[in-house]
Amino acid sequence: MNDETVQRMPQPDPRAPRGRVLDAHLHLLDRQVLDRDGTPVTTVDDVELDGIELGARIEPGSPAPTVAAILTGPQLPMRIFGGHAPARRRVAIPWKLVASVGTTVRLGVGADSLDASWVERWVSGHIIGRIPGGRHDPE
Amino acid sequence: MKKLFAVALGILTAIGGFVDIGDLVTNAVVGSRFGLGLAWVVLVGVVGICVYAQMSGRVAAVSGRATFEIIRERLGPRAGLANLAASFLINLLTVTAEIGGVALALQLATSVDPLLWVPVAAFGVWIVIWRARFELLENVTGLLGLTLIVFAVALFMLSPDWGRLAGQALQPGPPADEPVATYWFYAVALFGAAMTPYEVFFFSSGAIEEKWTEKDLAKSRLNVLVGFPLGGILSIAIAGCAAVVLLPASIDVTSLSQVVLPVAEAGGKVALSFAIVGILAATFGAALETTLSSGYTLAQYFGWSWGKFRKPAKAARFHLAMIIVVLIAVAILATGVDPILVTEYSVVFSAVALPLTYLPILIIANDREYMGDKVNGRGMNLVGTIYLVIILVAATAAIPLLIVTGAGA
Repeated sequence: MNDETVQRMPQPDPRAPRGRVLDAHLHLLDRQVLDRDGTPVTTVDDVELDGIELGARIEPGSPAPTVAAILTGPQLPMRIFGGHAPARRRVAIPWKLVASVGTTVRLGVGADSLDASWVERWVSGHIIGRIPGGRHDPE
Repeated sequence: MKKLFAVALGILTAIGGFVDIGDLVTNAVVGSRFGLGLAWVVLVGVVGICVYAQMSGRVAAVSGRATFEIIRERLGPRAGLANLAASFLINLLTVTAEIGGVALALQLATSVDPLLWVPVAAFGVWIVIWRARFELLENVTGLLGLTLIVFAVALFMLSPDWGRLAGQALQPGPPADEPVATYWFYAVALFGAAMTPYEVFFFSSGAIEEKWTEKDLAKSRLNVLVGFPLGGILSIAIAGCAAVVLLPASIDVTSLSQVVLPVAEAGGKVALSFAIVGILAATFGAALETTLSSGYTLAQYFGWSWGKFRKPAKAARFHLAMIIVVLIAVAILATGVDPILVTEYSVVFSAVALPLTYLPILIIANDREYMGDKVNGRGMNLVGTIYLVIILVAATAAIPLLIVTGAGA
């Protein structure tokens, strides 16, 4: 390898993140989240980022933040109308459960194992599942 | 043979499924006041619904995503929510009109007060949504709706002055004794009735219910391009019947009994019973479609599990939302409001809401991330854009015309 080819090779950026680079706005927010079996769980109402402090200045050259979790529940009205929800009402799907990101976000686990699906499970268990025929396939 | 059968079934259900309470009432009203002078609007509307139904079906089949999921992704949560609220409310109005229409059709058959039929009709709609497979409910109501062909048969049996009907149809424009604004008000209402937005939600979500792939697109295109225009001809036949019998006698259409009067005059009790079965099937089918559409739009915006292919317990919020929608419709009808009046308002507001549905579809059909190389061609974009302009004009004009004409009085 001579000097000339070394010059033409793109220099690896020491600050480049190790995982996939995502534009949160373009690739994540408001995307449908599907579970392992393709059942819809929720929409990405917001994301939680690691590596930046809220309100702090981001120095040029600092490492890119990583996505820690997909947020849902009270996060949607907050994004629309503003304001803050108390931390105990936060409904999150940890990012480590995400299997792939395409036009939908696929999880590697079943919907029923997630906190984020509690409303669906409650309505199913208390109302819809109790109406005769609610647990049967349509005929 | 099996393939041929499937294609024929699809076309027949598209014809029978095209007409709903909005088309029935608006066409009869327009026929009784303007003859066939507004038949051109039905033609414009049919071409429009063909273009956009076909486009939304293609988006659903290629991307596997239904319309409202993508509306939220592309518009964001805030504009998406505004769109959802408007679309949902107008859809709710249409559900109310359709369930009221079922009750009115049952009244025609039994002479029992429609208010007593409302709970029966609503329960019928819910139980079918709760238990019947998607294909079954679509095919049965679509095929029974074909008995509306009796309107076309009746038009021939009335042996009208064809030259005069053709003259009305070919010389569009307000007649001397009606104000210009009224003419255009009914033009907008007829356009809204033909292009009702729920058909697009239903069509695109139905594509996912039936697990369409790109291979099914040719079949769906055939269904739409043959079935909808024939459904449009049925609409014009309803207006034609009214033009021949009601217009000369200056009878106003204020209930379904006037809508079917020409059929009874032409073919007696037998024809009348066909018309009642047809109206019952058409309104019941549309009640199913609009109720499902309200569930589809909500579930797709919020990312809930949805679909008739799942057990209700596996799409719990979707089914709960539809139960609530049917109950609200019953509550509105229980106030004693005239379902015909609800219908007349629902078609006008449908016209107002058209851009909310059609603009996002046109944008997404051009988005390579969802569509790959199956994006719209140039011709399709040209037609789609022309229709978008027509839709915007109709939507902007609808409310002012409603106020100026006092709802067409």
